Amino acid sequence: MSASQPVEPFIRISGLAKSFGAQKTLQGVDLTIHHGETIVLIGPSGEGKSVLLKHIIGLLHPDAGKVEMEGIDLSHMKERQLLKMRRRMGYLFQNAALFDSLTVAENVAFPLRESGVRDKAEIDQRVHEALDLVELEEHKNKMPINLSGGMRKRVGIARAIINRPECILYDEPTSGLDPIVTDVIDRMIQRLQKRFRVTSIVITHDMGSVFKIADRVAMLKNGVIHWLGTPEELRNSPDPDIQDFIAGRSGMTA
Amino acid sequence: MNIITGFLALLGRWTLDNLSYYGQLGALMGELRDCVFHGRIRWRLMMEQIVNIGYGTQAVVIVTGAFTGAVFTAQSYFKFKDFGIGSSVGSVVSVSLCRELGPVLAGLMVTGRVGAAMAAEIGTMKVSEQIDALRVMGAHPVDYLVMPRFLAMMVSMPLLIAECIAFGLSASVLVGTQVFKIPFAWFWNHVLNHTNLEDVSFGMIKGFCFGILIVLISCHQGLLASNGAVGVGRSTTRAVVFSSLALLVANFFLTMLLNYFFPLGSAL
Repeated sequence: MSASQPVEPFIRISGLAKSFGAQKTLQGVDLTIHHGETIVLIGPSGEGKSVLLKHIIGLLHPDAGKVEMEGIDLSHMKERQLLKMRRRMGYLFQNAALFDSLTVAENVAFPLRESGVRDKAEIDQRVHEALDLVELEEHKNKMPINLSGGMRKRVGIARAIINRPECILYDEPTSGLDPIVTDVIDRMIQRLQKRFRVTSIVITHDMGSVFKIADRVAMLKNGVIHWLGTPEELRNSPDPDIQDFIAGRSGMTA
Repeated sequence: MNIITGFLALLGRWTLDNLSYYGQLGALMGELRDCVFHGRIRWRLMMEQIVNIGYGTQAVVIVTGAFTGAVFTAQSYFKFKDFGIGSSVGSVVSVSLCRELGPVLAGLMVTGRVGAAMAAEIGTMKVSEQIDALRVMGAHPVDYLVMPRFLAMMVSMPLLIAECIAFGLSASVLVGTQVFKIPFAWFWNHVLNHTNLEDVSFGMIKGFCFGILIVLISCHQGLLASNGAVGVGRSTTRAVVFSSLALLVANFFLTMLLNYFFPLGSAL
């Protein structure tokens, strides 16, 4: 992205605040996300990374501040208006949130059917492609209850990407997966970015993934963006909090 | 002084909670209206729910109707025969089944079977983020979950009540003619003379209203569920308790209102 190009941000989050009862989860988050970039959110557990992601897609409404998508404020939109905006995005839930009552293939086909695709051959073809990408084609007729946690997560990924959204939000895509499948998922996120210029916002605790896929990294701590920069800057940051986080040092002794 | 303010605060909170509950039910009805005008009605899901609610509840409703008809015939006969009017039990049983016993008992059974299932299923979807998943993929939860159940109930409930009444009456005929040896012609003549279409409409309209109450209350409880398995359990219990109580209270007011249009006296 050259500096001379007039760049309108894809998503602009400003002053976002959200409390749950007495707990102030987000306390003024400012973040701008550009078309086609992969931004990784890191930070300690329970600091509101998932809450931030849910605000971006309008599942939660902020107490203060706003989320804009191409200049349109999502934070005060009614649910029925939001539904149309959300069809441009894909979302992977932390626990995959597959529908118990539908088979793997039906789960993956759900976003397609919702966006009005009726041609059965096309649906079958695209479900096949999406499941192939996460290496689960042979399990397509199983019910989600019969899958392992990692397999469910991969079905969730297939479901998030099948509609070729412009922007995909991943809530811990590789937690609970073995290193090989983790690499497959990381490569897939990169490939979607390169081929289709998909914008990805990824929450992860896997520092290996961070350095592999991120264009920029944001660290959420104490309800605000504590640090923002490229993976290289992250690696060289003098901030001890960040260095401890990268190296996984708690400071406790055995 | 503290006791009085405490009591007033409690009363105030109770009133506010109640008002907010009715407000939420009203909002859910508003969403159903929006679904008709701005959303999408999913006929296939409605058909599935008709199978689930209507077809699946038949056995329960048939047994309830049949044994209520049978026992009511027996109890009435034991007393009526003292006055020498044993053969006229049919009229009492049929009017009661059409106007009260059929709709109320079938309604309570449907609440137990269907209302609980709705609250538990929707509640589980809520706590496992499946409702959020629907929203993320552009499907409104009310369009996808509540509306099909609402429509299915509209269709199923009057039919279930008709079934309950029919089997109740058949059982009554069986008990009256086979156990108490009342000649069928006499028995049936009394039934026909004292039951008319208004009595049957009375039951159907009640069933229709009970259906709305059960769906609204149960789905609302499901959508409200939070806090994992405990929350789903609480929602399910509340769905059954609130629906049953609402049904019994509504039954009284419906009886008073409908009696204005279909007075009982005219049939006798």
